[in-house]
Amino acid sequence: MAPALNLADIDLSLMAPELWMTLLSCIVISIDFLFPKFGKDKLAYLSLAGTSLICLQLIGFFASGKSGTLFSGMFVLDPLAIFFKIFVLIATLLIVLSSIDYINKAKYFRGEYYFLILFSALGMMFMSSANDFLSLYLSLEFSTFGFYVLVTYLRNDLRSSEAGIKFFILGVLTSSIIIYGISLVYGATGTIRFSELMNITPSLGAIIGLLFIFIGLGYKIGAVPFHAWIPDVYEGAPTPVTSFLSIAPKGAAFAITLRVILSTFSGMRSDWVWFMVGLAVLSMTYGNIVAIAQKNMKRLLAYSGIAQIGNILVGLAAGTKMGGDAILFYLLAYLFANVGAFAVVIIFSNLTDKDDIDDLAGLNRRSPFLAFSLLVFLLSLAGVPPLGGFIAKLYIFAAAINQNLIFLVIVGLLNIVISMYYYLVVVKKIYIAEPTDSSKIPISLPLRAVVYISLIGVFALGVFPKTFMDWSMAATEIFSNLALK
Amino acid sequence: MTHLLSIILFSLFGGAILLIFVPNSKPMMVRAVAAVAAFISMIASFILLYTFDYKKGGFQFIEKYVWAPDVGISFHMGVDGIAVPLVLASCILMFAGIFVSWHIKDRTKEFYIFLLILTSATVGVYVSLDLFFLYFFYEMSVIPMYLLIGVWGSHTKNFLESKNPLKDTPRFFFNFTSNSKEYAAMKLVLFLSAGAILALMGILLIYSNSGLYTFDLLELSEVPEGKYGKALVSAIWIMVFFGFASIAPLWPMHSWSPVGHASAPAATSMLHAGVLMKLGHFSIIRVAFFLFPEATQEWMPIAAYLCIGSIVYGGLVALFQRDTKYVIGYSSSSHMGYIFLGMAALNVISLTGAIFYMFAHALATGLLFAMAGWVYDQTHTRDIPSLGGLSQKMPFITGAFIVAVVASFGLPLTVNFVGELMIVVGSWRMYPKITILAVLGICLTLCYLFRMMRGVFFGDLKPEFSGAMDATLWHDRLPLILMLSCSIYYGLFPSHFINVIQSGVIPLLERMHKVTPLLTQVGGF
Repeated sequence: MAPALNLADIDLSLMAPELWMTLLSCIVISIDFLFPKFGKDKLAYLSLAGTSLICLQLIGFFASGKSGTLFSGMFVLDPLAIFFKIFVLIATLLIVLSSIDYINKAKYFRGEYYFLILFSALGMMFMSSANDFLSLYLSLEFSTFGFYVLVTYLRNDLRSSEAGIKFFILGVLTSSIIIYGISLVYGATGTIRFSELMNITPSLGAIIGLLFIFIGLGYKIGAVPFHAWIPDVYEGAPTPVTSFLSIAPKGAAFAITLRVILSTFSGMRSDWVWFMVGLAVLSMTYGNIVAIAQKNMKRLLAYSGIAQIGNILVGLAAGTKMGGDAILFYLLAYLFANVGAFAVVIIFSNLTDKDDIDDLAGLNRRSPFLAFSLLVFLLSLAGVPPLGGFIAKLYIFAAAINQNLIFLVIVGLLNIVISMYYYLVVVKKIYIAEPTDSSKIPISLPLRAVVYISLIGVFALGVFPKTFMDWSMAATEIFSNLALK
Repeated sequence: MTHLLSIILFSLFGGAILLIFVPNSKPMMVRAVAAVAAFISMIASFILLYTFDYKKGGFQFIEKYVWAPDVGISFHMGVDGIAVPLVLASCILMFAGIFVSWHIKDRTKEFYIFLLILTSATVGVYVSLDLFFLYFFYEMSVIPMYLLIGVWGSHTKNFLESKNPLKDTPRFFFNFTSNSKEYAAMKLVLFLSAGAILALMGILLIYSNSGLYTFDLLELSEVPEGKYGKALVSAIWIMVFFGFASIAPLWPMHSWSPVGHASAPAATSMLHAGVLMKLGHFSIIRVAFFLFPEATQEWMPIAAYLCIGSIVYGGLVALFQRDTKYVIGYSSSSHMGYIFLGMAALNVISLTGAIFYMFAHALATGLLFAMAGWVYDQTHTRDIPSLGGLSQKMPFITGAFIVAVVASFGLPLTVNFVGELMIVVGSWRMYPKITILAVLGICLTLCYLFRMMRGVFFGDLKPEFSGAMDATLWHDRLPLILMLSCSIYYGLFPSHFINVIQSGVIPLLERMHKVTPLLTQVGGF
């Protein structure tokens, strides 16, 4: 039944970015072990240059509206996939930039680090293009393997090893849940292709299978109640890896989720909407309330991340194209604010080896620029105008209220007030408290670049959102024939 | 002159952005940049007042730019007679505030940046004709307040040691945990954000249920109320009203305000009491009155009854305060009650009076806070019993303070008198009993302000204050003279002002089909 694989019929240009990425990561790892004297930060700049070129190619794809499928529909290239690939690559660029200082201080595996980052990015690029459950599973595993190593990168550090073990065990468990779900769906419907699943009549087996798959995806995005790994892993992993982990895999997982939920199963919305509403309410409320009690900046950002995911799920619960647009926009705002906030933490802990909130006291006296940047990033996460996070939240809630999800919007809005509190506690530390050590904080060029790019991103999204909205609307074009408008 | 509103708004914003590039080591340059930005916007807002065509009425100086058309948001600015005086008040207070905070030494640059952002956000609310931007600027004004109070504010702890439990109970009931500036700032942000999201819920419901999927106020005003359904209109009205009333602040949602006033630096208190609190009244008029005239008639009596709480409770509490800024803070929240009374009566005279009073109160309270700040800078205390006799050391401040006090309770010839009189006259027909209480509230104002004035400036001079200085330099006197002269000038010649306000009020009330001929009479001042 399946056609034979004939390479001549395959338009490989559709997956050129992935091929280039494979080549790039192979070059990086080869240089690392063939020429041990080659400077490791040069490897970083090589990765940066290569990634930027691939990113440019993808932008070209986006502009020309290139699309198509490969391998009997397993791999799809459409605006949505391109958008998320660009998203992942921007995150990769920013993370490589913020890692250079950190890795220069490390004693071992300095070249492998960049390879692993690129390799995970490659996995996430495949995730964005996954078009059936098999490629979904493969790409998900692919991207996670890199992270298993990255999280335990500081192998002499107990917290890092503990984080790695937790991440690994829970990750493997979730993988098995996903693959069990896939087998149930296949058993009940006889297909695993998204496009064929669109027309099935829901049966009990398929619904249970889907539920299992959602649980697995819920683990990847870190929605409550599948969030248990997040705080410990975030705290233990090297900070640049935490930053990467907090944004890129979530984006890629949302690419899959959007594709599955909004297009394949949009007809079954009445069955899953309550699941999404429940996840959103739990994630927002739990994340925000527990964040109040945090003493460590990375843990605070971990819990705030859980709450942000809850906000994004509000858009998913709306189940419309507008909800999809809002999610894409929200992810962009979250990308810049989160990576920026982590960059400040990296700069600070490179100098002091500390990342508790109390240690940030008086940051404004030590470095007004860093304090202002952290203020902007936190306020964007809290959703204060004129920053990107505000428009994103409003966009999501507008999409939800158009579907009459009034309860969900009320919970979401209340959560804004709760989140305001703990972000402002940090602001209080950095602006109002006096520093114990008032030495200035030096900022290296690559990290300064990350902070500037993130600041520009956060302000641009807030003040000129039209361009970004147009992009996200173009990317979700495939949802334009949804049942719900 | 078509871009007048842009000039007002963006000269303030531009000033804030420009300041980022001024080095912190040059405080004079920082002040100069801030002063020039504020001066441009103040001059532009005076031009706005005098070029506003009140014979034509309606919304003028309209500017509309595409912003996010797919979500139904456009950057739509315009003013009617209601917004003009408030824009003017914001710009006057901003300009005065720059000179009032001349002596701030710690992180001068950041202080002026946040002050400029705060004012531009308030101006932004007054000129927005798009619900989204109204909320955008409204929410934007909250965070600068947090930093201004938290970083440059002062603790109020010393003044709250309970001597007499009975007397101090109200204060302790609301502020029992702490009276640090951090507490005040956090309380302010949480109260205002909670109010804001309540209003936002209402705004989102308007957005989706109007069927237009737009935030444009002028387009939304075409939608008949019946389209929402009666229950939904009531729900939206309540959300919008209470959401915005929390910043106004209407009793019993006022408890953040006196604490915030007391902890804030002088210029911030001025802007806070002068224009920030009026965001509440203004937004209620702009959203609830303008979009839902019928629901307003049905529900506005709530405000009339709650404003008794503001007027009487605020006044009584002010009577027992020892901290000068608490007295002025409670007096402000008490005076906000008059504005609600004027709004609740829903006739031309009272509503015009309410808006005129907003302008008047901004100037009078601005003056009082500026001078309370001066006294604090000189004596490092705000405790009334431990002050005294300062008139010997600061004759100019004393003179200005006396004028500000008489303006505050509305002596004829000051701008407050006109506003108060119109409110009382206008609301007498609708709510005679409440009006009587309101007039009694004016007597309370007299008592607590005179008590404060006597305690601070008269009596014997304490030896520790023998070094206190009067305001002698031009930059110390300029803000006071500016606010005093505006207060007296518009008290003597209010007619242009009233014409402008009425050109905004009359169309608004005509939408409510309830304008009785007697009360449409144009005020003959």
